[in-house]
Amino acid sequence: MSSGTFKAPMSRRGLLRAGAASAALAGVGGLASACSSGSSSGSSGSKVLNVAIFTDQSSADKMAKSAGTFEAAHPGVKVKFTGTTGTDWNDFFSKLLTQMSAGNAPDIACVATEGLQLFAAKGLAEPLDAYVKRDSAELKPYFADVHPALVEAMMYQGHLYELPTDFNAGNMFYNTSLFKSVGVDRPADDWTRDDFYDIAKKISAKDGNTVGYDWVVRLWGSWTSWMYANGGNLLTEGKWDGGDWLWNTFYPNDPAAAGRKGGWRWGDPTANSAPVVESLDYLIQLQKEGLSPKPDIGGGGTLQGLFASNKIGMAIGGGFWAGGLHNAGMADDAFDVQYFPKWQSQRHLFGSGGYGIMKSSKNKDLAWEFLKTLVTPKNIDLLIPGNVTTPARKSMLTAERYATTGPKNWQVFYDTLTKFDDTAPIPAPPYYQAMAIALNKRTTQAMSTGRAKAALDGLQSDLETAAKTG
Amino acid sequence: MSQPVRSLGRASAPAGARPGRPPQPPADEATALRRRAQSRRARREALFGYAMVASALLVVVVFTVVPIVASFVLALFKWDGISSPQFVGLDNFDALVGDKAVTHSLLVTSGLAVLIVFLQVALGLGLALMVAQRASKIVQNLFRAAFFLPMLASAASISIVMAYVFNDQFGVINYYLGLLHLPEVSWLSSTGGATATIVLVAVWQQLGFTFILFVAALASLPGDVLEAAQIDGASSARLFWRIKLPLISPTVLFASTVGLINTMQLFDQPYVMTKGGPGDSTYTTVLLVYQTAFQNLQFGYASAISVLLFAVLLVITAVQFTASRKWVFYS
Repeated sequence: MSSGTFKAPMSRRGLLRAGAASAALAGVGGLASACSSGSSSGSSGSKVLNVAIFTDQSSADKMAKSAGTFEAAHPGVKVKFTGTTGTDWNDFFSKLLTQMSAGNAPDIACVATEGLQLFAAKGLAEPLDAYVKRDSAELKPYFADVHPALVEAMMYQGHLYELPTDFNAGNMFYNTSLFKSVGVDRPADDWTRDDFYDIAKKISAKDGNTVGYDWVVRLWGSWTSWMYANGGNLLTEGKWDGGDWLWNTFYPNDPAAAGRKGGWRWGDPTANSAPVVESLDYLIQLQKEGLSPKPDIGGGGTLQGLFASNKIGMAIGGGFWAGGLHNAGMADDAFDVQYFPKWQSQRHLFGSGGYGIMKSSKNKDLAWEFLKTLVTPKNIDLLIPGNVTTPARKSMLTAERYATTGPKNWQVFYDTLTKFDDTAPIPAPPYYQAMAIALNKRTTQAMSTGRAKAALDGLQSDLETAAKTG
Repeated sequence: MSQPVRSLGRASAPAGARPGRPPQPPADEATALRRRAQSRRARREALFGYAMVASALLVVVVFTVVPIVASFVLALFKWDGISSPQFVGLDNFDALVGDKAVTHSLLVTSGLAVLIVFLQVALGLGLALMVAQRASKIVQNLFRAAFFLPMLASAASISIVMAYVFNDQFGVINYYLGLLHLPEVSWLSSTGGATATIVLVAVWQQLGFTFILFVAALASLPGDVLEAAQIDGASSARLFWRIKLPLISPTVLFASTVGLINTMQLFDQPYVMTKGGPGDSTYTTVLLVYQTAFQNLQFGYASAISVLLFAVLLVITAVQFTASRKWVFYS
């Protein structure tokens, strides 16, 4: 019953005013103005750069040290790091988007692969192309140190939206003492799903309190790692045109940049295709055989605790597991990492993190200057202390870095990018939020009912609806 | 002779006046004075009353009336919270009609609500009967405190703790089941288990409220009626079904109505403990509203679902009150 007259877009404030007017009719008009939002806090006209990050405030305060040099070089400028917690990235994005809806947008936000296209498609993030082109000479050492796959994952529709600072590829962590107790050595680099199964069976048979394998329900490194190894994906893969300016400028002769374009273009859903169903069925089978328990939803903190308590033989983990297991009290030689096992292929998935400028920022130039300083090795070290994730700069992955936390074979982290050409980012279209909800819902449905196909038919339908509504 | 008026102030008594009584003004003047005084007092009392309730009224207006009105307005728009809102009239309500997620969430919510309210009322009444009949005042007070304590903690914090307690892999409950050589239960990862866990937690947290209501209701029962029934030889069961229950039926109605309204808005437990799963078996309507608004960024549509829930609650409450005429006994 919509009328053309009223189809014209209304401003956000206009809508809030309309709400206020209606409230006034109910006798409460004077108070409704409390609903209307002000301008971006701290950024309008001031010299405060607000940075939003997905962590607790105490960690955010530590990360704020990375602004020290920048603040010293820009007297009067203050960089404020604000941490926001949540179960997973979608929780963080919800809170950040709500803040933005209320007119309280940060100048800079740390957004992982999960939300890059969401923020770019909604016009919330500022393309960095012009800045990067302008300061290309200054940025050449940075790009030379960062694998092109990570940069391409930060692009959308041909534009670069973030400078990656870290990433995590879905490798396989294993408990060395549990392996030793069942007489299993480190798996070969090209180990297969069958090798994995045999090891999981041996460890699960050890006693009633130990399982061979565990995982969590989420997009990154969940059963989706098996899906990638089996040649499946939730969405049709494609690439956006564009981006030549970047590849020609920073990676002209790099074979790893061959075929790179303007970012990943996620097409029609393929969530109930044969390889996807087969991979989820495999996880159900592991559960039925007692090799893996029913998984929890979330970021995996609990999983790391169980792993550190020697209750789990193997689990998917990225570089962040090194810091997580260390913090959980695990000795550096008590665990190690290997590539994900081979199924149809040995394709890995990854997710990257980086910092981008919000379109609403009134201090974009200043934000860009800060962004450039954030990606220096010294500041990346401050942003990700204690190996809480893998640095995007290859030069930072050294034996010294992992001497305290482990694992022994830390080279696996970056080599996943350099040795496997088909390693790709997780599928995260602009409708990521709806996708994350549907994925979690349908995965728990499959694990509860034992019927992967029915659950993934549902996921296919959910994703088709989400793709339409955007 | 005119009626004496109340003293308007201390004054010396004129000659001829009766000792101990103030001077009596003429009737018309007295009436006028009385009216003026009453009017001033009424104004003062009204102002004082308004001042006293102003803060509470402000809270109600800001946190209840404004959001309700804003929801109705927002339901007429398509808005992602960031770009410009578009007026779409009743389109959002049209979309509700064929939305299986909405229907499913309403069914799940209703099912949970019926289970939770039934258990809360039954257990609350049962406990109240036990405590009121057999326990001393001190024990009664101890029970009141013990059962009411969970209500003081927020549902979110309780849900976080309970998610660990009922965790399939390392939860305390499954640990003790294991010690007793009993099979572990998939508390949070099976449809039945998740539903049961949410019901248990919600009932446990809200039980203190109904318990206290029933303890108070039972304490106010007329002793002579109960005594007469007992003298007439009524058994305990007969005494309960024929005397006590009819007499406390208004409390049963109140507890079930408030309980139903609360549980139809169940959010914290499924959000924290199950995320609505496994699948969408514990996907309540308010969880759907939250995810539609704050994760899918469909604020208009989420508001339309809220309006629908409001309407459903209104109808349920109206039906409940209408039906109550047949079973609620107001003495």
